[in-house]
Amino acid sequence: MLNRRTVVQASLAAGLVAGLAGVAEFAKWRRDNTGWHAISWPFPRDGWPTGKAWRGEGIEVYIRPKLGFCSNCDTGVVTDEEVDRVTDVDLLDEHFVPVHEGSRIHITDLVGRARLYRLKAKAGISRLAEGIAVAYKCDLVVAVVVGDLADEPTRRSAHAFLETNTVQVWLNQQLEGR
Amino acid sequence: MRLVGMSDLQARSAYQPTIQHQGNRWIAYIGHHGGTDDVPAPVNPLTGKAESNGTSIVDVTDPTNPKFLRHIPGLPGKYEDGGAQMVRVCEGKTLPKGDRAAVYMLRTFGSQAHEIWNVADPTNPLLLTRIDGLQDTHKSWWECDTGIAFLVSGAPGWRTRRMTQVYDLSDPAHPVKIRDFGLPGQEPGATGAVPTEVHGPISTGPKGNRVYFGYGTNKGGVMQIVDREKLLNGPKEPTPDNLRAPEISRMLMSSWNGAHTTFPMLQMPIAEFAKDKDGSKRDIVMIVDEAILNECLEARQMVWFADVSIENRPMMISNYTVSEASGAFCQRGGRFGAHSSNESMASVFYEKMAFISFFNAGVRALDVRDPYHPKEVGYFIPAITAATDKRCVKVAGKDRCRVAIQTNNVETDDRGYIYIVDRANTGLHILELTGEARQAAGLK
Repeated sequence: MLNRRTVVQASLAAGLVAGLAGVAEFAKWRRDNTGWHAISWPFPRDGWPTGKAWRGEGIEVYIRPKLGFCSNCDTGVVTDEEVDRVTDVDLLDEHFVPVHEGSRIHITDLVGRARLYRLKAKAGISRLAEGIAVAYKCDLVVAVVVGDLADEPTRRSAHAFLETNTVQVWLNQQLEGR
Repeated sequence: MRLVGMSDLQARSAYQPTIQHQGNRWIAYIGHHGGTDDVPAPVNPLTGKAESNGTSIVDVTDPTNPKFLRHIPGLPGKYEDGGAQMVRVCEGKTLPKGDRAAVYMLRTFGSQAHEIWNVADPTNPLLLTRIDGLQDTHKSWWECDTGIAFLVSGAPGWRTRRMTQVYDLSDPAHPVKIRDFGLPGQEPGATGAVPTEVHGPISTGPKGNRVYFGYGTNKGGVMQIVDREKLLNGPKEPTPDNLRAPEISRMLMSSWNGAHTTFPMLQMPIAEFAKDKDGSKRDIVMIVDEAILNECLEARQMVWFADVSIENRPMMISNYTVSEASGAFCQRGGRFGAHSSNESMASVFYEKMAFISFFNAGVRALDVRDPYHPKEVGYFIPAITAATDKRCVKVAGKDRCRVAIQTNNVETDDRGYIYIVDRANTGLHILELTGEARQAAGLK
């Protein structure tokens, strides 16, 4: 059976070829890889390994693996309650409130759920954050996207960034070839 | 520690043992995880059939020659997804409304339900009751003198995998639910951060009027002290205020450690403090973490001692771990670290000796008479057998597997025997103390 690294490398290579085949895809590729830069992990150390953070397009994304943390190694993340429980949205605001029900999401070959939350206002401005939890067997990868996320294209842009080489190469290093 | 006898438990992965003095016999009830990828349902030689792992019943009256009496199949499924991991036993004659002739066994059924069986004839157990519609059922506590049970479950709507359902099982054939309980933020309809899930409670009954809840396994541990009377008789609707009402205090542990077992040892005389005006006796809770990951791929999971004499200011006072270097345990394969302690409060060992299962480091006997300075006085690591299963880690994307002992749980009986069971299918080992450890326990 192929491990995740092999699967992702194959899919990234295929994605790159397909991307170069069309102008629209090329534009998407450029968008994925420009305008984003790494920033310091903004949270205090906790029981999980420190993750990686990026800023771009007016939003920030924080991502890290939580190995062995999936509730159900067969089904993966299938409930909104699990998204509430496992993502790092609480590091931004312990009193986060979901905006609506979550939805199924896939980031490369990893499948799970994403849910949008409202955070406490900062300087009088209400903020939104999206929690994403996807699973590979018993391991989780969790991400938080924060910023002006009211419109769907902005969230999609963040999802696309999570699928770029920039993120996936780092993630594969963290997953230690799982 | 010396090996007295063993049973292979039909090469089933074992979780919780409970030892019951039943008439003139001693019976061990042992819960199992689900099967393995290689052997999803081992053959039971007594029936000749492949049976999903469930509960083994073993006559240990003669500990040198344990007799396997019966296997009750559990939920089909592998590893954590099947089996019947947990088991508690109460006699009908001690339960307020029990059948005096009955012996009741409470067990989990996979992760879906709690079951109560009459095991008065341990070779012919009879199913009485099933409380189902649940998920992630786990390590419950059952008071045999009152029938009050603290069932660890995942209930529909709750935001955590595991919470506590308090039941009156004084008449085991007719369970009566009292209330649901958890940390505020776990209840249905809550928003915001979800606190760590419960692993298991231990109650001191109406006399002690305390329940010690352990939350977490290997991360974000919480030890919570609860007023039992307020828990049972307070307002029951799971609102944040009602969940907070019976709490006396909670102690937050490091994010690197969980609270798998919270074992109270109350009013312990401390020799060093004997001449002090205050505090010559201390209330202690021994907190045992659970190692989860193989080959030390996490922070060390170990044993912590908290002084809870001042209940709203619990304070960690000491700790214990096996020295890794004493056996190169991070390289032996499988998990290395603590998992659980014995939970029997029989006078033979209570507040004198504690026994800790330590996965590939076997079982460790601790002299806890001075909990400020716990001291290891004995250990036993079973030998690997042909049945011992492998444990794997990923190295460069490939499985690297090693066959390793995984002593999962330990329990004691009133005679002073120690029972350890193996998660990697090596079976049950019955031990006794020798030398300094035997002396420390006051055994002849």
